[in-house]
Amino acid sequence: MCGLVVHPKYLDYDLGDRHPFSPLRIQMVTELLTELGHKLKFETPEVVPPEKLEIIHDPEYIEVVEKAGKGIEAENFEQYGLGTADNPVKTGMAESARYIAGGTLHGAKLLLEGKFNKVLQFGGGFHHARKNLAAGFCLYNDLALAIKEMTLHGWHVAYLDIDVHHGDGVQELFYDDDKVMTISLHESGEFLFPGTGWIYESGKGMGRSLKLNLPLEPFTEGDSYIFVLEKLLDEALSYFKPDALIVQAGADPHFSDPLADLMLTTNDFEKIYKIILQKTDAYAKGKVMFTFGGGYSLVATARIWSLLYLVLTGSGIPDKLPVAWKQKWEERLGIKISDSFHDPNPSYNPIPRKEEITNHNKDMLRRLLDMVTPDWL
Amino acid sequence: MLVQEIIHKEPVTISPDTKLFAAYELMLKKNIRHLPVLENGKLVGIITDRDLRSATSKLAEVPFQPEDEVGKIMVKNVITVHPKDPIDVAAKLMRENKIGCLPVMENDALVGIVTISDMLDALLKLTGVHRPSGRLEINLSDKPGELAKLAQHLAERKVNIHSILTYPAVNGKIRIVLRISTIDIRGIAQGLCNAGFEVIWPTQMSCAD
Repeated sequence: MCGLVVHPKYLDYDLGDRHPFSPLRIQMVTELLTELGHKLKFETPEVVPPEKLEIIHDPEYIEVVEKAGKGIEAENFEQYGLGTADNPVKTGMAESARYIAGGTLHGAKLLLEGKFNKVLQFGGGFHHARKNLAAGFCLYNDLALAIKEMTLHGWHVAYLDIDVHHGDGVQELFYDDDKVMTISLHESGEFLFPGTGWIYESGKGMGRSLKLNLPLEPFTEGDSYIFVLEKLLDEALSYFKPDALIVQAGADPHFSDPLADLMLTTNDFEKIYKIILQKTDAYAKGKVMFTFGGGYSLVATARIWSLLYLVLTGSGIPDKLPVAWKQKWEERLGIKISDSFHDPNPSYNPIPRKEEITNHNKDMLRRLLDMVTPDWL
Repeated sequence: MLVQEIIHKEPVTISPDTKLFAAYELMLKKNIRHLPVLENGKLVGIITDRDLRSATSKLAEVPFQPEDEVGKIMVKNVITVHPKDPIDVAAKLMRENKIGCLPVMENDALVGIVTISDMLDALLKLTGVHRPSGRLEINLSDKPGELAKLAQHLAERKVNIHSILTYPAVNGKIRIVLRISTIDIRGIAQGLCNAGFEVIWPTQMSCAD
């Protein structure tokens, strides 16, 4: 059984018509699954009150974000990363962000209470939000809030971030925490936002060698990605043996994503989700929550997260997209959508530097493991 | 960036009559490689761990003994910098003279030292990522107003510039590496491309004419 979490208020996290982080994605996934005949039974989370966020964020930061969400101007927006192209000030955004944080927190509680062993949160994944800084479309760090709740119950938590961007906010918030292992696979910070996520960022104090970063070459393809992911999860999780796994399942490593340069196909995502479930059963007591995250090619993202649901629930994967769904969103978005559910094979032209990229990624994994494993006693 | 911004103040010093073994122990204890030598408050020399090891090595023609004084082996013509010198002057002096440390002198007094490690820290400060940001590389023509146009373009899109690095590119152009406050780097790059800028990273863009 897989618990599903969503609240209508998630859709209010709308940063503008032309902003890439679109609430349409949640609607598209929900409708796609419904059209496929799945009866989605959602758990409805409660909103997180502002003061409860103080376990993660500075009170001054929360105050400024809450004011911004009510349309109250502040001169020091810039200091907190607000009022920028990425994090514009929109009415209702703060409250919506607290509903979404409530959803991820609710998911954590479902795992803690043993109500479900698998949870899919239909939103969230705001991994760039820092203690006192909004960044990369993120305001409140829902993931950190959920992880903190679990560690306060004495759980050890492994956080896996497969969004194409480095999970810098979550890493920073647990940098010296020995109850949390963070693992982020992302396009190298040399090329992509936020610019961090190097192998040497491996934790400090009690958290030393428990923060793992695998920066990947631009144009990394599925085979190379899956090779390093599987090896890294085997090494890291068999050592750490967490009580649960929290996965930020950004869909933006997809080849069509307009914000980044990795080359995964939906077939690769299917394999990746299955591997994560296998590793959860092997090393994390079978308990896992997936959240959404980045994903800026709307149709690809809708297909990828639907796939995530289908894999999590052990459902069959259809060959074709439902006609009604395809027609509706073709009209709504003004684009052509292919008939098939999966990406075509091949999906893109051969990558000229394939061998070099594959070797580079392997080398990076070896360097990462050489650095951290001596501390894993 | 000036020497005074990367300087190590209150350096560990010795005097010419310090014994070689004592100087060696001091280096080990403080985990340092360079010791300026002062006599009556004046800089009279400098000694490195390599000077010590070479002087006392069994391979030397006449090896110095642990009880010998530093004054016998120290380098006397010390190359120094001023706190207000730019760090590139310090870097140039280190490279040309093949040395790893420069005492910093002001009004004839030793006020600190700068080592290669400090230079590397400075490099990290200049090139590092201090706020979440995306990387943009542009080739600009080497003429007035080009950078202003680029900055204006970004300002109009509410994108903050966190850092700028430049270095000479091919064809007499100037390579500009910006760290800017957006995750949507391609959107910005496409706009720049359409506006006629030569975008180096992110790649694979087709620009409108």
